[in-house]
Amino acid sequence: MSGPDAMHGEMPGFFPGRPGGERDEPLLDMIFDRRPLPPGAPPEMHDLARMLAAVAGPAELEELAGEATALAAFARLAPPVGISPAASRSARHRLSGRPGRARLPMAAALVTAAAGLGSIAAAYVGVLPGPIQQVAHVTVGAPLPPHGSSHRPAALANPHPSVIRDPGTAATRPDHSAAPTPVHGSTERHWPRHRMLVLGPAPAGASCIPWPSPSQSAVKPSPTPSAVKPSPTPAAVKPSPTPSPPVTGAPAGATQSPALPDCPYIPGSVPTQVAGLPGS
Amino acid sequence: MGGAFGDILARARAGDEAAFACIFRDMQPALLRYLRVIAPEAEDLAGETWLQVVAGLTGFRGDERAFRAWLFTIARHRAADAGRSRNRRPTVPLELSEAMEQPASADAADLALEAVSARAVVGLIKLLPREQAEVIMLRVVADLDFGDVARIVGKTPGAVRVAAHRGLRRLAELAERAGVTQ
Repeated sequence: MSGPDAMHGEMPGFFPGRPGGERDEPLLDMIFDRRPLPPGAPPEMHDLARMLAAVAGPAELEELAGEATALAAFARLAPPVGISPAASRSARHRLSGRPGRARLPMAAALVTAAAGLGSIAAAYVGVLPGPIQQVAHVTVGAPLPPHGSSHRPAALANPHPSVIRDPGTAATRPDHSAAPTPVHGSTERHWPRHRMLVLGPAPAGASCIPWPSPSQSAVKPSPTPSAVKPSPTPAAVKPSPTPSPPVTGAPAGATQSPALPDCPYIPGSVPTQVAGLPGS
Repeated sequence: MGGAFGDILARARAGDEAAFACIFRDMQPALLRYLRVIAPEAEDLAGETWLQVVAGLTGFRGDERAFRAWLFTIARHRAADAGRSRNRRPTVPLELSEAMEQPASADAADLALEAVSARAVVGLIKLLPREQAEVIMLRVVADLDFGDVARIVGKTPGAVRVAAHRGLRRLAELAERAGVTQ
Protein backbone atom coordinates (compact mmCIF):
# COMPACT_ATOMS: atom_id res chain seq x y z
CA MET A 1 0.00 0.00 0.00
CA SER A 2 1.53 3.25 -1.06
CA GLY A 3 1.14 6.60 0.58
CA PRO A 4 -1.67 8.00 -1.53
CA ASP A 5 -3.74 4.88 -0.96
CA ALA A 6 -3.91 5.45 2.77
CA MET A 7 -6.21 7.93 4.48
CA HIS A 8 -4.63 10.55 6.68
CA GLY A 9 -6.71 9.48 9.60
CA GLU A 10 -5.52 5.92 9.25
CA MET A 11 -1.83 6.78 9.58
CA PRO A 12 -1.55 9.94 11.66
CA GLY A 13 1.92 11.37 11.85
CA PHE A 14 3.38 8.95 9.36
CA PHE A 15 4.03 11.54 6.68
CA PRO A 16 5.59 14.62 8.21
CA GLY A 17 4.31 17.80 6.66
CA ARG A 18 0.99 16.33 5.68
CA PRO A 19 -2.16 17.38 7.50
CA GLY A 20 -2.27 14.22 9.55
CA GLY A 21 1.25 14.78 10.85
CA GLU A 22 0.53 18.28 12.08
CA ARG A 23 -2.41 17.53 14.34
CA ASP A 24 -0.19 17.77 17.41
CA GLU A 25 1.21 21.12 16.46
CA PRO A 26 -1.16 23.18 18.59
CA LEU A 27 -0.21 21.04 21.57
CA LEU A 28 3.48 21.43 20.81
CA ASP A 29 3.04 25.18 20.55
CA MET A 30 1.27 25.14 23.91
CA ILE A 31 4.24 23.29 25.38
CA PHE A 32 6.66 25.82 23.93
CA ASP A 33 4.55 28.66 25.25
CA ARG A 34 4.31 26.96 28.67
CA ARG A 35 0.56 27.04 28.59
CA PRO A 36 -1.39 24.33 30.41
CA LEU A 37 -2.37 21.43 28.19
CA PRO A 38 -6.01 20.43 27.83
CA PRO A 39 -7.04 17.41 29.90
CA GLY A 40 -7.57 15.28 26.82
CA ALA A 41 -4.00 15.72 25.53
CA PRO A 42 -2.00 12.52 25.00
CA PRO A 43 0.16 11.49 27.96
CA GLU A 44 3.36 11.86 25.95
CA MET A 45 2.54 15.53 25.55
CA HIS A 46 2.25 15.89 29.30
CA ASP A 47 5.58 14.11 29.65
CA LEU A 48 7.14 16.51 27.15
CA ALA A 49 5.76 19.46 29.08
CA ARG A 50 7.27 18.13 32.31
CA MET A 51 10.65 17.56 30.65
CA LEU A 52 10.80 21.03 29.18
CA ALA A 53 9.74 22.54 32.47
CA ALA A 54 12.59 20.67 34.13
CA VAL A 55 15.18 21.81 31.61
CA ALA A 56 14.04 25.42 32.05
CA GLY A 57 13.86 25.02 35.81
CA PRO A 58 15.78 26.68 38.60
CA ALA A 59 19.53 26.68 38.74
CA GLU A 60 21.44 23.86 40.29
CA LEU A 61 24.28 24.79 42.58
CA GLU A 62 27.07 23.53 40.35
CA GLU A 63 25.79 25.65 37.47
CA LEU A 64 26.75 28.82 39.31
CA ALA A 65 30.31 27.71 39.90
CA GLY A 66 31.64 30.23 37.39
CA GLU A 67 30.18 33.20 39.20
CA ALA A 68 33.40 34.15 40.95
CA THR A 69 35.29 34.17 37.67
CA ALA A 70 32.64 36.24 35.94
CA LEU A 71 32.50 38.74 38.79
CA ALA A 72 36.27 39.05 38.78
CA ALA A 73 36.16 39.82 35.07
CA PHE A 74 33.41 42.30 35.71
CA ALA A 75 35.38 44.02 38.44
CA ARG A 76 38.37 44.22 36.13
CA LEU A 77 36.62 45.47 33.01
CA ALA A 78 33.52 47.29 34.15
CA PRO A 79 33.60 51.02 34.92
CA PRO A 80 33.77 52.07 38.56
CA VAL A 81 30.46 52.65 40.29
CA GLY A 82 29.15 56.13 39.73
CA ILE A 83 30.69 56.67 36.34
CA SER A 84 28.24 56.77 33.51
CA PRO A 85 28.71 54.35 30.62
CA ALA A 86 29.22 57.28 28.28
CA ALA A 87 32.00 58.65 30.43
CA SER A 88 33.53 55.22 30.64
CA ARG A 89 33.46 54.87 26.86
CA SER A 90 35.01 58.28 26.54
CA ALA A 91 37.73 57.38 29.00
CA ARG A 92 38.47 54.14 27.21
CA HIS A 93 38.57 56.07 23.96
CA ARG A 94 41.15 58.39 25.45
CA LEU A 95 43.17 55.44 26.69
CA SER A 96 42.92 53.51 23.49
CA GLY A 97 46.50 54.36 22.55
CA ARG A 98 45.67 56.36 19.48
CA PRO A 99 47.71 59.54 19.10
CA GLY A 100 44.61 61.57 19.71
CA ARG A 101 44.02 64.86 18.07
CA ALA A 102 44.13 66.46 21.49
CA ARG A 103 47.64 65.22 22.20
CA LEU A 104 49.33 66.98 19.29
CA PRO A 105 48.42 70.52 20.36
CA MET A 106 49.51 69.69 23.87
CA ALA A 107 52.86 68.42 22.64
CA ALA A 108 53.28 71.47 20.44
CA ALA A 109 52.47 73.75 23.37
CA LEU A 110 55.01 71.97 25.53
CA VAL A 111 57.71 72.27 22.89
CA THR A 112 56.90 75.94 22.38
CA ALA A 113 57.00 76.63 26.09
CA ALA A 114 60.30 74.83 26.44
CA ALA A 115 61.79 76.77 23.54
CA GLY A 116 60.52 80.06 24.95
CA LEU A 117 61.90 79.41 28.40
CA GLY A 118 65.21 78.38 26.92
CA SER A 119 65.39 81.53 24.87
CA ILE A 120 64.63 83.68 27.89
CA ALA A 121 67.27 81.90 29.90
CA ALA A 122 69.78 82.37 27.12
CA ALA A 123 68.87 86.05 26.94
CA TYR A 124 69.52 86.54 30.62
CA VAL A 125 72.82 84.75 30.32
CA GLY A 126 73.66 87.03 27.41
CA VAL A 127 74.70 84.43 24.90
CA LEU A 128 72.26 85.43 22.20
CA PRO A 129 73.41 87.23 19.06
CA GLY A 130 73.53 90.96 19.42
CA PRO A 131 70.31 92.02 17.73
CA ILE A 132 68.33 89.30 19.41
CA GLN A 133 69.90 90.17 22.72
CA GLN A 134 68.89 93.78 22.18
CA VAL A 135 65.34 92.75 21.49
CA ALA A 136 65.37 90.55 24.57
CA HIS A 137 66.70 93.49 26.56
CA VAL A 138 63.79 95.65 25.53
CA THR A 139 61.10 93.03 25.78
CA VAL A 140 62.03 90.94 28.82
CA GLY A 141 64.62 93.09 30.48
CA ALA A 142 67.61 90.94 29.64
CA PRO A 143 71.04 92.56 29.89
CA LEU A 144 72.24 94.62 26.98
CA PRO A 145 74.66 93.01 24.63
CA PRO A 146 78.19 94.23 25.00
CA HIS A 147 79.22 96.81 22.43
CA GLY A 148 80.97 95.39 19.46
CA SER A 149 80.15 91.89 20.44
CA SER A 150 77.96 91.17 17.51
CA HIS A 151 78.27 87.70 16.22
CA ARG A 152 77.65 88.97 12.75
CA PRO A 153 80.01 90.72 10.38
CA ALA A 154 79.96 94.44 10.57
CA ALA A 155 78.43 94.78 7.16
CA LEU A 156 75.55 92.65 8.24
CA ALA A 157 75.36 93.94 11.75
CA ASN A 158 74.36 97.36 10.52
CA PRO A 159 72.74 97.11 7.19
CA HIS A 160 71.54 100.67 7.33
CA PRO A 161 74.51 102.83 8.11
CA SER A 162 72.83 105.88 6.70
CA VAL A 163 69.95 105.56 9.07
CA ILE A 164 71.32 104.69 12.46
CA ARG A 165 74.24 106.51 13.68
CA ASP A 166 75.85 107.82 16.73
CA PRO A 167 75.54 111.52 16.38
CA GLY A 168 78.47 112.18 18.63
CA THR A 169 80.95 109.94 16.86
CA ALA A 170 82.17 111.13 13.55
CA ALA A 171 83.86 107.89 12.80
CA THR A 172 80.56 106.11 12.85
CA ARG A 173 78.83 108.52 10.68
CA PRO A 174 77.59 106.93 7.53
CA ASP A 175 79.13 107.46 4.24
CA HIS A 176 76.34 109.26 2.52
CA SER A 177 78.16 109.33 -0.70
CA ALA A 178 77.98 105.56 -0.80
CA ALA A 179 74.60 105.15 0.82
CA PRO A 180 71.67 104.93 -1.46
CA THR A 181 69.32 107.77 -1.49
CA PRO A 182 66.43 107.01 0.76
CA VAL A 183 63.41 106.69 -1.39
CA HIS A 184 59.91 106.35 -0.21
CA GLY A 185 59.01 102.69 -0.46
CA SER A 186 62.49 101.35 -0.06
CA THR A 187 63.58 99.04 2.72
CA GLU A 188 65.05 101.94 4.57
CA ARG A 189 61.68 103.47 4.60
CA HIS A 190 60.20 100.44 6.29
CA TRP A 191 62.66 98.98 8.72
CA PRO A 192 62.23 101.58 11.42
CA ARG A 193 58.57 100.70 11.47
CA HIS A 194 59.50 97.11 12.24
CA ARG A 195 61.75 98.23 14.97
CA MET A 196 59.08 100.46 16.34
CA LEU A 197 56.77 97.50 16.55
CA VAL A 198 59.42 95.60 18.42
CA LEU A 199 60.48 98.40 20.67
CA GLY A 200 57.04 99.65 21.49
CA PRO A 201 55.91 103.22 21.81
CA ALA A 202 58.23 106.04 21.26
CA PRO A 203 60.24 107.00 24.29
CA ALA A 204 60.00 110.46 25.68
CA GLY A 205 61.99 112.90 23.68
CA ALA A 206 61.84 110.96 20.50
CA SER A 207 61.09 113.03 17.51
CA CYS A 208 58.23 112.00 15.41
CA ILE A 209 57.06 113.53 12.23
CA PRO A 210 53.96 112.76 10.32
CA TRP A 211 54.52 110.50 7.40
CA PRO A 212 52.78 111.76 4.33
CA SER A 213 50.11 109.58 2.97
CA PRO A 214 50.80 107.86 -0.30
CA SER A 215 48.18 109.98 -1.96
CA GLN A 216 50.22 113.05 -1.41
CA SER A 217 52.04 113.84 -4.59
CA ALA A 218 54.89 115.50 -2.76
CA VAL A 219 56.13 112.23 -1.32
CA LYS A 220 55.83 110.15 -4.43
CA PRO A 221 59.11 109.04 -5.97
CA SER A 222 60.39 111.61 -8.29
CA PRO A 223 63.42 112.03 -10.52
CA THR A 224 64.36 114.95 -8.35
CA PRO A 225 64.75 113.40 -4.94
CA SER A 226 65.65 116.56 -3.16
CA ALA A 227 62.22 117.97 -3.72
CA VAL A 228 60.22 115.03 -2.49
CA LYS A 229 62.18 113.22 0.21
CA PRO A 230 63.83 114.08 3.44
CA SER A 231 67.23 115.42 3.08
CA PRO A 232 69.84 112.75 3.65
CA THR A 233 72.27 115.16 5.08
CA PRO A 234 73.21 114.49 8.64
CA ALA A 235 72.24 117.94 9.74
CA ALA A 236 68.75 117.46 8.56
CA VAL A 237 68.16 114.10 10.16
CA LYS A 238 70.28 114.36 13.25
CA PRO A 239 68.13 114.44 16.33
CA SER A 240 68.11 117.63 18.18
CA PRO A 241 69.04 117.78 21.85
CA THR A 242 65.69 119.33 22.45
CA PRO A 243 62.53 117.63 21.39
CA SER A 244 62.24 118.12 17.75
CA PRO A 245 59.29 119.95 16.42
CA PRO A 246 57.01 117.91 14.28
CA VAL A 247 58.27 119.58 11.19
CA THR A 248 61.88 118.50 11.75
CA GLY A 249 62.99 116.57 8.75
CA ALA A 250 59.74 117.20 6.96
CA PRO A 251 60.01 116.88 3.26
CA ALA A 252 60.66 120.10 1.62
CA GLY A 253 57.62 121.42 -0.03
CA ALA A 254 55.40 118.84 1.56
CA THR A 255 52.24 119.89 3.19
CA GLN A 256 52.32 119.33 6.90
CA SER A 257 49.76 116.78 7.86
CA PRO A 258 48.55 115.76 11.28
CA ALA A 259 50.44 112.98 12.99
CA LEU A 260 49.22 109.51 12.17
CA PRO A 261 48.05 107.38 15.00
CA ASP A 262 50.84 104.86 14.51
CA CYS A 263 53.41 107.56 14.01
CA PRO A 264 56.37 105.63 12.68
CA TYR A 265 59.89 106.42 13.53
CA ILE A 266 61.48 107.80 10.47
CA PRO A 267 65.14 107.62 9.66
CA GLY A 268 67.00 110.09 11.72
CA SER A 269 64.39 110.44 14.37
CA VAL A 270 65.42 107.32 16.25
CA PRO A 271 66.16 108.25 19.82
CA THR A 272 69.65 108.01 21.06
CA GLN A 273 69.10 105.09 23.36
CA VAL A 274 67.96 103.11 20.37
CA ALA A 275 70.97 104.21 18.47
CA GLY A 276 73.05 101.93 20.63
CA LEU A 277 72.05 98.99 18.56
CA PRO A 278 74.83 96.70 17.52
CA GLY A 279 76.88 98.13 14.76
CA SER A 280 75.92 101.68 15.52
CA MET B 1 13.55 39.44 36.14
CA GLY B 2 10.68 41.18 34.45
CA GLY B 3 10.31 44.91 34.74
CA ALA B 4 13.22 45.27 37.10
CA PHE B 5 15.68 44.17 34.45
CA GLY B 6 16.09 47.66 33.04
CA ASP B 7 17.15 49.06 36.39
CA ILE B 8 19.40 46.12 37.14
CA LEU B 9 21.04 46.38 33.75
CA ALA B 10 21.56 50.11 34.18
CA ARG B 11 23.23 49.53 37.53
CA ALA B 12 25.41 46.82 36.07
CA ARG B 13 26.44 49.09 33.23
CA ALA B 14 27.38 51.70 35.80
CA GLY B 15 29.68 49.22 37.47
CA ASP B 16 27.44 47.76 40.18
CA GLU B 17 28.83 44.30 40.82
CA ALA B 18 25.75 43.12 42.71
CA ALA B 19 23.55 44.00 39.77
CA PHE B 20 25.77 42.09 37.42
CA ALA B 21 25.72 39.10 39.78
CA CYS B 22 21.94 39.22 39.68
CA ILE B 23 21.96 39.02 35.89
CA PHE B 24 24.55 36.26 35.97
CA ARG B 25 22.58 34.09 38.39
CA ASP B 26 19.44 34.55 36.37
CA MET B 27 20.92 33.61 33.00
CA GLN B 28 23.92 31.42 33.66
CA PRO B 29 21.98 28.16 34.18
CA ALA B 30 20.17 28.52 30.87
CA LEU B 31 23.39 29.51 29.14
CA LEU B 32 25.24 26.53 30.53
CA ARG B 33 22.49 24.09 29.59
CA TYR B 34 22.36 25.47 26.08
CA LEU B 35 26.12 25.19 25.71
CA ARG B 36 26.10 21.64 27.09
CA VAL B 37 23.82 20.69 24.22
CA ILE B 38 25.83 22.26 21.42
CA ALA B 39 29.44 21.96 22.62
CA PRO B 40 31.47 19.65 24.85
CA GLU B 41 33.43 22.42 26.59
CA ALA B 42 30.37 24.19 27.98
CA GLU B 43 31.88 25.65 31.15
CA ASP B 44 34.82 27.21 29.34
CA LEU B 45 32.57 28.63 26.66
CA ALA B 46 30.25 30.08 29.26
CA GLY B 47 33.15 31.85 30.87
CA GLU B 48 34.29 33.27 27.54
CA THR B 49 30.74 34.36 26.81
CA TRP B 50 30.42 36.29 30.05
CA LEU B 51 33.80 37.86 29.47
CA GLN B 52 32.58 39.20 26.15
CA VAL B 53 29.34 40.33 27.75
CA VAL B 54 31.22 42.30 30.37
CA ALA B 55 33.40 43.88 27.71
CA GLY B 56 30.38 44.97 25.68
CA LEU B 57 28.00 45.73 28.50
CA THR B 58 28.31 49.50 28.34
CA GLY B 59 27.46 49.51 24.67
CA PHE B 60 24.41 47.29 24.95
CA ARG B 61 20.99 48.80 24.35
CA GLY B 62 17.77 46.87 24.74
CA ASP B 63 15.41 45.06 27.07
CA GLU B 64 15.72 41.70 28.77
CA ARG B 65 14.70 39.76 25.68
CA ALA B 66 17.26 41.58 23.60
CA PHE B 67 19.86 40.89 26.25
CA ARG B 68 19.05 37.21 26.22
CA ALA B 69 19.28 37.13 22.45
CA TRP B 70 22.62 38.95 22.63
CA LEU B 71 23.95 36.60 25.29
CA PHE B 72 23.02 33.45 23.41
CA THR B 73 24.28 34.84 20.13
CA ILE B 74 27.67 35.41 21.74
CA ALA B 75 27.58 31.91 23.19
CA ARG B 76 26.75 30.42 19.81
CA HIS B 77 29.63 32.25 18.19
CA ARG B 78 32.01 31.07 20.88
CA ALA B 79 30.81 27.52 20.40
CA ALA B 80 31.31 27.81 16.65
CA ASP B 81 34.84 29.08 17.21
CA ALA B 82 35.54 26.20 19.55
CA GLY B 83 34.17 23.77 16.99
CA ARG B 84 36.45 25.16 14.31
CA SER B 85 39.37 24.91 16.71
CA ARG B 86 38.50 21.28 17.42
CA ASN B 87 38.35 20.51 13.73
CA ARG B 88 41.86 21.86 13.25
CA ARG B 89 43.26 19.44 15.82
CA PRO B 90 44.48 15.99 14.81
CA THR B 91 41.58 13.61 14.30
CA VAL B 92 40.81 11.04 16.97
CA PRO B 93 41.20 7.38 15.97
CA LEU B 94 37.93 5.57 15.25
CA GLU B 95 38.12 3.09 18.10
CA LEU B 96 38.82 5.84 20.61
CA SER B 97 35.96 7.90 19.22
CA GLU B 98 33.55 5.00 19.61
CA ALA B 99 34.77 4.42 23.13
CA MET B 100 34.11 8.04 23.97
CA GLU B 101 30.59 7.89 22.63
CA GLN B 102 29.74 4.76 24.55
CA PRO B 103 29.25 6.42 27.96
CA ALA B 104 26.79 8.87 26.45
CA SER B 105 24.61 6.04 25.24
CA ALA B 106 24.92 4.37 28.57
CA ASP B 107 23.88 7.59 30.30
CA ALA B 108 20.84 7.81 28.08
CA ALA B 109 19.92 4.25 28.90
CA ASP B 110 20.32 4.88 32.59
CA LEU B 111 18.05 7.90 32.53
CA ALA B 112 15.18 5.70 33.66
CA LEU B 113 16.84 5.42 37.03
CA GLU B 114 17.08 9.14 37.49
CA ALA B 115 14.46 11.63 38.31
CA VAL B 116 13.39 14.05 35.62
CA SER B 117 16.14 16.56 36.22
CA ALA B 118 17.45 19.30 34.03
CA ARG B 119 20.67 17.43 33.47
CA ALA B 120 18.81 14.28 32.43
CA VAL B 121 16.69 16.16 29.94
CA VAL B 122 19.73 17.93 28.57
CA GLY B 123 21.28 14.51 28.09
CA LEU B 124 18.26 13.45 26.05
CA ILE B 125 18.16 16.61 23.98
CA LYS B 126 21.81 16.09 23.11
CA LEU B 127 20.75 12.94 21.31
CA LEU B 128 18.64 14.95 18.90
CA PRO B 129 19.98 16.24 15.62
CA ARG B 130 22.03 19.35 16.30
CA GLU B 131 19.66 21.77 14.59
CA GLN B 132 16.60 20.47 16.42
CA ALA B 133 18.36 20.36 19.75
CA GLU B 134 19.60 23.92 19.39
CA VAL B 135 16.28 25.48 18.48
CA ILE B 136 14.56 23.64 21.33
CA MET B 137 17.09 24.94 23.81
CA LEU B 138 16.90 28.48 22.49
CA ARG B 139 13.12 28.41 22.47
CA VAL B 140 12.61 26.75 25.85
CA VAL B 141 15.70 27.41 27.95
CA ALA B 142 16.67 30.82 26.62
CA ASP B 143 12.98 31.77 26.49
CA LEU B 144 13.25 33.35 23.04
CA ASP B 145 10.44 33.38 20.51
CA PHE B 146 10.77 31.74 17.13
CA GLY B 147 11.67 35.05 15.51
CA ASP B 148 14.65 35.63 17.80
CA VAL B 149 15.75 32.03 17.44
CA ALA B 150 15.54 32.33 13.67
CA ARG B 151 17.77 35.40 13.73
CA ILE B 152 20.32 33.65 15.91
CA VAL B 153 20.56 30.47 13.85
CA GLY B 154 20.14 32.21 10.50
CA LYS B 155 16.94 30.52 9.37
CA THR B 156 13.38 31.58 8.79
CA PRO B 157 10.95 31.49 11.72
CA GLY B 158 8.89 28.88 9.88
CA ALA B 159 11.87 26.60 9.43
CA VAL B 160 12.79 27.03 13.07
CA ARG B 161 9.28 26.20 14.16
CA VAL B 162 9.18 23.05 12.04
CA ALA B 163 12.56 21.95 13.39
CA ALA B 164 11.40 22.55 16.95
CA HIS B 165 8.25 20.50 16.45
CA ARG B 166 10.16 17.63 14.92
CA GLY B 167 12.63 17.79 17.75
CA LEU B 168 9.91 17.56 20.37
CA ARG B 169 8.34 14.58 18.68
CA ARG B 170 11.71 12.89 18.53
CA LEU B 171 12.36 13.79 22.16
CA ALA B 172 9.10 12.17 23.19
CA GLU B 173 10.14 8.98 21.46
CA LEU B 174 13.58 9.06 23.13
CA ALA B 175 12.08 9.65 26.53
CA GLU B 176 9.61 6.85 26.12
CA ARG B 177 12.39 4.52 24.99
CA ALA B 178 14.61 5.54 27.89
CA GLY B 179 11.79 5.26 30.37
CA VAL B 180 12.11 8.81 31.57
CA THR B 181 8.45 9.49 31.15
CA GLN B 182 5.95 8.19 33.66
